[in-house]
Amino acid sequence: MRTSRKVFAAAILASAILTSGTTSMAAASDTVTIGFTVSETGPLNVDSLAQLHGFELWRDQVNAAGGLKVGNAKYKIKFVTYDDQSKSERVQQLYSRLILQDNADFLFSPYSSNLTATAAIISEQYGKVMLTTGAAEDKTYELGNHGLFQMYTPATHYLSSAMAVIKQKDPKAKVAVAYSDDGFSKAVAGAAKEEAKRLGEPVVLDEAYAPGTTDFGPIINKMISAKADAMVGGGHYADGATLARQMYDQKAPMKFICLLVAPDSPQFASLGDAAVGVAVPSQWEPSAAYKPDFGPDGAAFGKAFKDKFGNEASYHAAGGYAAGLILQHAIEKAGSIDSAKVIQALDATDVSIFYGRVKFATDAQHHGLQIGHEMVLAQWQKKGGQLTKEVVWPAAAQTAPLLYPLH
Amino acid sequence: MRHAMFWLIVATTAVFALLPAIGGDVGLRESLFLAAIAIILASNLNLMIGYTGYVNFGNIVFFGLGGYFGVWLSAVKGWPLLAAVPAAGVAVSAVALLFGLGILRLRGAYFALATIGINEAVQALVSNLDVWGGSTGIYLSLASYQSLGGARQALWIVYFLVVAVMAASLFLSWRIRNSKFGLGLFAIREDEDAAAVLGVRPATYKAAIYSISGFLPAAAGALFFFKNGVIQPDQAFDLTLSTEAIVMLMLGGQGSVVGAALGAFLYEQFRGYLLTSPMFSDFHLVVAGLLLLLIVLFVPGGLMGWLTQRWPWMRGKLQ
Repeated sequence: MRTSRKVFAAAILASAILTSGTTSMAAASDTVTIGFTVSETGPLNVDSLAQLHGFELWRDQVNAAGGLKVGNAKYKIKFVTYDDQSKSERVQQLYSRLILQDNADFLFSPYSSNLTATAAIISEQYGKVMLTTGAAEDKTYELGNHGLFQMYTPATHYLSSAMAVIKQKDPKAKVAVAYSDDGFSKAVAGAAKEEAKRLGEPVVLDEAYAPGTTDFGPIINKMISAKADAMVGGGHYADGATLARQMYDQKAPMKFICLLVAPDSPQFASLGDAAVGVAVPSQWEPSAAYKPDFGPDGAAFGKAFKDKFGNEASYHAAGGYAAGLILQHAIEKAGSIDSAKVIQALDATDVSIFYGRVKFATDAQHHGLQIGHEMVLAQWQKKGGQLTKEVVWPAAAQTAPLLYPLH
Repeated sequence: MRHAMFWLIVATTAVFALLPAIGGDVGLRESLFLAAIAIILASNLNLMIGYTGYVNFGNIVFFGLGGYFGVWLSAVKGWPLLAAVPAAGVAVSAVALLFGLGILRLRGAYFALATIGINEAVQALVSNLDVWGGSTGIYLSLASYQSLGGARQALWIVYFLVVAVMAASLFLSWRIRNSKFGLGLFAIREDEDAAAVLGVRPATYKAAIYSISGFLPAAAGALFFFKNGVIQPDQAFDLTLSTEAIVMLMLGGQGSVVGAALGAFLYEQFRGYLLTSPMFSDFHLVVAGLLLLLIVLFVPGGLMGWLTQRWPWMRGKLQ
């Protein structure tokens, strides 16, 4: 019984500490509060944390320069964040809290499309602006939202550049589409098949695989027997890296390979020769040379990021920084932190930043969809025995010619 | 005079319904919404684990399937929410009855494994079902909430409906516990073969309770995903939620109506606290895990076990 008492006392003590730890964080009048959830835990945490680093770098740079310029005043930026655990379960609870208890003036979205759609049901009720990064599915912007603005090129355009490259290099190339059976990858692959049809490229294999697949042997055999010239698809890091390695091991005679997400990670270089020639659609690459109308150029952003975090910025980090920059641009144009005025300014936005051009759809059916930004196509190449990722498409951002054909 | 349990359920329901509504407190509503969903899942799981002695690891399949039926009927087929929710419950109960007749021949670990298998199989099926959006799922547009007066009002209506489903779950658990049917289930839990000798028909009883335990979680799933605005296979059939529901039961005390509800409420509030606490948010999973470990080690009968051991008079009042 004595032990039980101790446990009970410990539980009460823990509750007291927890209660005391939860304090209201009302915003001071000279600060702008931006609220968002981060997937600190769960399967989305790698990309979500990279994005958070982008947000943080932007905040710190703006605050170091005196703050956000709103009319004649300057406002410091404050973040309030919670862990959404990569699940939608608590997203509405946390966004309600951000708006009502933490008095967030603006919102960034959670990472991923479904979490964003869930959060938008709350943000729309309060007329809040929510910039989205990592929410690429087009569907999210076809739901009738007014304050949602997408930074990423939509999922349906992820493989547009890959299909254009195939068309340019070999108009009669046979294409194999093999993709992870998850919402994002399926949406991307569906659009790629439509694009292939439009361009007159025959799709000789259309195969979805379970997200946890580790043996791609049967799918690769099908590609070979279908005499495919090009392969596009993949999904996320684990399956994409395994697929690339097994295609190399089985000597699949592809002239062109383009996989989603996985080859964008610096870790992909650990595949060695299996990585050579593999292309990836990327929202941004450090070597992409865009001329900005607003904010730093790519080199300055990349250097500042490396100085602060000690590693190269991925496109997720760049997307986070770019979201902050576009919000800053809209607030400065509006000269106000009133949500309605900032929404108007975002609707009118058409600006080039280090990340590329940014412009949002304003029609009722697709409001907030990104229509200005183009993805680049990067490809792993060997230079002086070292693996490097080069931008090969579009020509405006190209750092090296495309390696084609691979076999 | 009615039993104390009746008034306890009425009072709990009234507190859930009125507390956030009086001040229009949306933050409190969101917190109690998740608590009510947890209570529904734990109470209905209690019918299988606590009453019948069958560990159902895949209980979340009812919640997910209910979500799909409910969202599809209301958002795609244009059914009113009030019709789509019970329809989802009936459809899932019917499916559960079919599954139950098959897998309830198994016992112990084999049954537990089969329930996980069912959840995985249903997830794979739904991922390939184009009519439900396959792996992309179904997204609800803001227009889907117009029939309930717009999103702001719709979220309140959904909340009150979830509280009603929670009340129904508590009443169901209480009434079954005190019925002849419930005694049959307890007999199966203690010794299935002996129960059969005494005249209980285990196959019928087990299939019936498996089906019944699917009805209200399915209704809750329909409401949860309608409010959530999106339903996708991986979130609808997330086994972690199944496991959490079992933890809630262990925390509160399995076999007890109050225990299941109390365990669910405390677990859910505790997790919410840790996530938003500036002090603990960075290592909330570690703190939650440690406290649960302490409870399992030192209070194996759960909170109700501890309370009734300390104050035996509670045993008759709080079931």
